[in-house]
Amino acid sequence: MVSESSFALTGRRVLELADHSGAYCGKLMADMGADVIKIEPPGGEPGRNIPPYLEGLKGPQRSFHFLYSNTSKRGITLDVELPEGRRLLRQLALSADILLSTQAPGELARLGIDHASLAKEKPTMVVTSITGFGLTGPHAQWKSNDLVAGAMGGAMYVTGEPDDPPVIVAGEQNTLMACTCAAASSLIALLHAHQSGRGQEVDISAQETTLAISHISGVGKWLDDGIIPRREGTGLTASVPSGAYDCQDGRIYLMVNRPAHWKALAEWIHEETGNQEVLDPLFEGPSSRRIEYRDLLDIFISDLTGLHTVQEMFHEGQRRHIAFTPFYSLSQVVQDPQLRSRGYFESMDHPETGPLEYPGAPFRPERTPWAIHRPAPIIGEHNRAVYLDELNLTEVKFKKLQAQGVI
Amino acid sequence: MSEEALSGLKVLEFTQGMAGPWIGRMLAWCGADVIRIETRQAPGVVRLYIPPWDRESGVQPSLSPWFTDWDGGKLFVSLNLKRPGGVELAKGLVNWSEIVIENHRHGAMDRLGLGWDVLEQIKPSLIGLHSSGFGDGGQHPEYVTWGPNIEAMSGLASSSGFKNRGGAMTQYAYPDSLSALHGLFAVLCALDHRNRTGEGQRIALAQFEATVAMIGPLVMQQLAEGQSSVLMGNASLHRAPQGCYPCRGEDRWCVMSIESEAQWSSLCALLERPDWTHDPRFHSPAQRFQNSEEIDQALSRWTRERTPHEATEILQAAGITAGAVQNTEDQYRRDPHLEERQFFESIHHLVKGTVVATGIPLGLTGTPGHTRRAGAGMGEDNRHVFRDLLKLSESEYADHVEAGAIEEELS
Repeated sequence: MVSESSFALTGRRVLELADHSGAYCGKLMADMGADVIKIEPPGGEPGRNIPPYLEGLKGPQRSFHFLYSNTSKRGITLDVELPEGRRLLRQLALSADILLSTQAPGELARLGIDHASLAKEKPTMVVTSITGFGLTGPHAQWKSNDLVAGAMGGAMYVTGEPDDPPVIVAGEQNTLMACTCAAASSLIALLHAHQSGRGQEVDISAQETTLAISHISGVGKWLDDGIIPRREGTGLTASVPSGAYDCQDGRIYLMVNRPAHWKALAEWIHEETGNQEVLDPLFEGPSSRRIEYRDLLDIFISDLTGLHTVQEMFHEGQRRHIAFTPFYSLSQVVQDPQLRSRGYFESMDHPETGPLEYPGAPFRPERTPWAIHRPAPIIGEHNRAVYLDELNLTEVKFKKLQAQGVI
Repeated sequence: MSEEALSGLKVLEFTQGMAGPWIGRMLAWCGADVIRIETRQAPGVVRLYIPPWDRESGVQPSLSPWFTDWDGGKLFVSLNLKRPGGVELAKGLVNWSEIVIENHRHGAMDRLGLGWDVLEQIKPSLIGLHSSGFGDGGQHPEYVTWGPNIEAMSGLASSSGFKNRGGAMTQYAYPDSLSALHGLFAVLCALDHRNRTGEGQRIALAQFEATVAMIGPLVMQQLAEGQSSVLMGNASLHRAPQGCYPCRGEDRWCVMSIESEAQWSSLCALLERPDWTHDPRFHSPAQRFQNSEEIDQALSRWTRERTPHEATEILQAAGITAGAVQNTEDQYRRDPHLEERQFFESIHHLVKGTVVATGIPLGLTGTPGHTRRAGAGMGEDNRHVFRDLLKLSESEYADHVEAGAIEEELS
């Protein structure tokens, strides 16, 4: 039995003045029960125009990107460029625990809601900014997006095939990681504010979060061994063997990191292919001992995987405690028995599009569940609830602001 | 020393690999006291490091740069949970802690007598995170995976890359870091709840599920329509031209993305093709996407004459969204922005003196964190943890060492 107060972040309010580059941060907190109020300019924010669209038809409620990254939020419209809009914006910001922004450096001060100014009235205020390069430094004003973060953050150089140009990972991953980091950091700042009475400004740089998530190929390793990591296809340079191998009906992915896993694999190859050489003690031990034999071992492994289907390799490999997993297309992912048997996908009705299925919980807290509380808001859906019921504007004033284009 | 955000928070790790340890690393950076339990019986993969510059000396358990990246700032105890008294000592540490992070195989903690039902009884306010490939239930929760396995299985790899390539993969085991960041967030949510109600709880994170959530819009399209978008490489349906362009030098590249008509005009000026601004073939992102070949050729001719950083400077100065495709050397030597923000961290290393590591990107400007030290040996902090924190007497400590529960330090 789940009551409203049983969500982890129930009662925490987040004001989201963010475009698509910050939306996932708000979603993370909203799905955990925070009251996330998304501010859009009258007419809706540009994030509603990101393809692909449901049934290929453009429309404010049809962008899969928007529908996915704005679940569980309330939505209001406000023109923050008008003086009256700015007054309401400040009032809304001060009603929140966290102000989440993707405004360019300096913009919050111009709008009168930077941390220094809000903290004078509310010392516990947390103001979280997600930007491409952070709020300070010589590139702070540079234009950025997911591709630029992937490039400058070092991720692209080490993604893809050696003979291809660097390539970006699909789905705006660098943006999502900046958002996830921002959500975690905002909570750290909030927990600290409750204890100390002092909030703070959280300055998330998408370049830096990209550097951090890709640190296996990063500076520490390079300073240690002097080798600049490059694109290596599907295998991980430090893990031998690793990579995608052909089966009879598709590809299987293999990762060997531990000495015991190599031994189990070598024995299996020997059993089925009669290969004696694979048992040579030369190949045993930590992964790094096998680096110079990588190509040879790949041939041995392909001899085995070529005898089987993907599912045979997967389950028999796992029975032998070897990390074999299928290399799936999206159509296979959504049918995967593990996800289906765990009820992973969530269905949520939407007033305009009807029910849609969503990827479900990224983690499962047993007591304060993750949930999609409502679909992404339609434009201005919660204007009345927020402005009339919570900011106590009169009906007359509300109508006047609408007429003036403020809301 | 400046104030730290999570100072006093007590965290215990039963971890391996990266997805678990990176959470403790970030909490420690914020000031938490983090104890990682290890055992000599099964050293973690980073402990199996053989330096490429010194292969002859074999495994160097404290020298791996990844050991700094994943484990810097923690206390290390070495405990054999299969010896008499080992589990009791672990329980004592559980009682000391507020958060337990664990990423062993499904069922492994139960078999040791340290399952969640036991931990929860020791301390009802405890927060436990279990991170694994497939979660706690379903058809095969016990299957073993590493980050790249999940990258391949989740659809992330097959959705990425150039047409006809069958997918693209990272060199950085991306699902490990995305799971760690989600795990960190989940633990902090539980901490906020505990602070208000006194209630602890367990959180189970399946890397497979967290990773599928990272391609939400693509998965939704697949679920709704039985198909998904084609592989786009670096191009975009709503920003064109956009791509990765060859620069001067070997394997040197920059990216560029035209996000508005104003940027398109600036690019035309830069390429000395003012006529393109009123060319009907290029009037919208969709049209430029359709007719991208001519634009990309002209752009590549322009970028080939410049280094990635020169091209980026010029494009950004013209208001165009662009960036150098930086390798590790660039990050450290050719990025004045990162240098000014002091992103990379110099850390005291117990064996090497000082090491430099990728920074922790939490951006806490009021309570900036730091990494206390790196390079701890196995059992480095046995005495401090068991004598000072768990208050064992000298003779109790000696007995546990004698019984083989506390494994002697090994650096």
